Amino acid sequence: MQFGMLEIIDVIISGLTNGSVYALMALGLTLVYGVSKAFNFAYGSFYSLGGYVAWLLLGLHIGLGYGAVLLLAIPFLLVFGYASERLLVAPLRRRSDWEIKVMMITLGLALLLDNGYAVIFGPRVKSLPPILEGSFVMGDVILAYQDVGIFLLSIFGMIAFGWLLKNTRIGMAVQAVAQNPAGAQIVGIPRDVIFAATFAISTVMAGIGGILLAQKYFISPAGGWDVLVKAWVITAFGGMGSIRGSLYAAFIVGMLEAVVAFFLGFSWVLFALFGVLLLTLAVRPQGLMGKWG
Amino acid sequence: MSIILAAVFGAVAILPLFVGDIRYVMHILIMCLIWSVVASCWDLIMGFAGIFSFGQVAFFVIGAYSSAIFALKLGIPPFFAMFLAGGVTAVIGVLVGLPCLRLKGAYIALVTFAVHMILEPFLKSNMGRALGTGGSRGILTIPPIKLFGVTFSSADLTPFFYFSWIMALACAIIIFIVIKSYWGDAFLALKDSEDFAVSLGVSAFKYKLMVFALTSFLTGLIGGFYAHYVGMLSTRLLGLDLFVTLMIMLVVGGIGQFPGAVIGAFFTVSLNEMMGPLGPYRPVIMGALVVILVLTLPDGVIGLIRKPEQRRG
Repeated sequence: MQFGMLEIIDVIISGLTNGSVYALMALGLTLVYGVSKAFNFAYGSFYSLGGYVAWLLLGLHIGLGYGAVLLLAIPFLLVFGYASERLLVAPLRRRSDWEIKVMMITLGLALLLDNGYAVIFGPRVKSLPPILEGSFVMGDVILAYQDVGIFLLSIFGMIAFGWLLKNTRIGMAVQAVAQNPAGAQIVGIPRDVIFAATFAISTVMAGIGGILLAQKYFISPAGGWDVLVKAWVITAFGGMGSIRGSLYAAFIVGMLEAVVAFFLGFSWVLFALFGVLLLTLAVRPQGLMGKWG
Repeated sequence: MSIILAAVFGAVAILPLFVGDIRYVMHILIMCLIWSVVASCWDLIMGFAGIFSFGQVAFFVIGAYSSAIFALKLGIPPFFAMFLAGGVTAVIGVLVGLPCLRLKGAYIALVTFAVHMILEPFLKSNMGRALGTGGSRGILTIPPIKLFGVTFSSADLTPFFYFSWIMALACAIIIFIVIKSYWGDAFLALKDSEDFAVSLGVSAFKYKLMVFALTSFLTGLIGGFYAHYVGMLSTRLLGLDLFVTLMIMLVVGGIGQFPGAVIGAFFTVSLNEMMGPLGPYRPVIMGALVVILVLTLPDGVIGLIRKPEQRRG
């Protein structure tokens, strides 16, 4: 079998595009875990939620573009995430076994949402139109503007988040709670509000991930699980709680996925990811840049 | 603890006298007994040993498939195939446990659940098919268990019911002994303060690995038992709804409230069967049920019984 330059460039483009979205999604997962030690099993369902919300808004045929869709979807996802945390996760925090209870309740929420989607939208997949039409042609190399748009939007999302975390009061409060929840509370930071806020932000990240990737891979009721697994592997590989680590890991995993899918076929991607996960945990349990083992 | 256990198993044992003619009810009772083992094992590993293992359904399915393959491909009598399957599952459990036990909390859940997620594509892959998993079609003609000339098939459910009853009771007693033994104390100590327990010479790694091996053996064994009872297997067992159903058993029974998981299994399996006519709404309701139960029933039904006693004491 011969592989030309063209295929390799395709693989790289696909790896970069997917990697950027995975980075955004892994960021949301690691943010919540890093700040509040809560692991959200419904994260994949929040991804699908974003896709379905965009599909609904675009299907209204009132001339909404992606800009308007994002403007409407983001506040919705924020409120949804905030309410989920306050209603489902916060009441459990008082108990000593809250960590496992949070995993259980979010797993229940995932089942509820996934099957809710199947009941409301039907089991068939939905597709979204590309965010940008057309493509950039240079010789034999074709670069779809859609891929460029997805890549830039995810990168923009991450940079915006990083800026907020460093330069705003709420961002600093989030960092303080992540470092020492009790200490943060003593100096007057409303810890519970920060927990809920980070959960809400992570919901937005998952939802935007859904809106962006659904253009390439469709939306289906249980489609979020695949992405959740990838976001997990990235967080474990990059190190839970480390934002920079997830960023590097996301691009490595995005590339790995594209290469494995191209050379061996899609069915091998999951096995390859599992291999990466086991190898990471065996050699370096804290991940590339994790803070604890 | 032992009183509740004896009461539950005693009550269940005499039920066939009343409902022995109703096949559907007998089937539900057998399922309750099978799932009570799976749920109790999960409780032992999660509630007592404090390991966040999310691979319980995966171990069950590994046991079921191995036993079916042993019986079909190698012609091993189902009764022995079942125990061999338990052994295979125990080995896999230890292999999964070895890397996991160096990790903490959410990481263990992550890796064990990854085993669960990867099992379905594996069983459907060419590799799985070469082992005899039947790919996406599954395994359809699993022979029933024959012992002392009696065939324990779904044709006559009463003997099968008592067979399941003995299996479930034996597993419950093993788990009960483990909890009451030095192991149980070690786990309690490790859960309360791992550092302190380790400094006193309790080997966290050794006991956790042993509990991983034991629970996967029992889960694999009962998985094989299940396979020879229903006679067919498919990867649908790995669906999220079954996983969550098992979780409901534990939430209803209370995590770390041992005989609770048995009660939870009886409640949940019966409820699940009753919700059958609801079709696509059933998993939605199951999901909602988890959310509600986790919030409102923190220690399960056993917690409801125990609380007044504690107040008095």
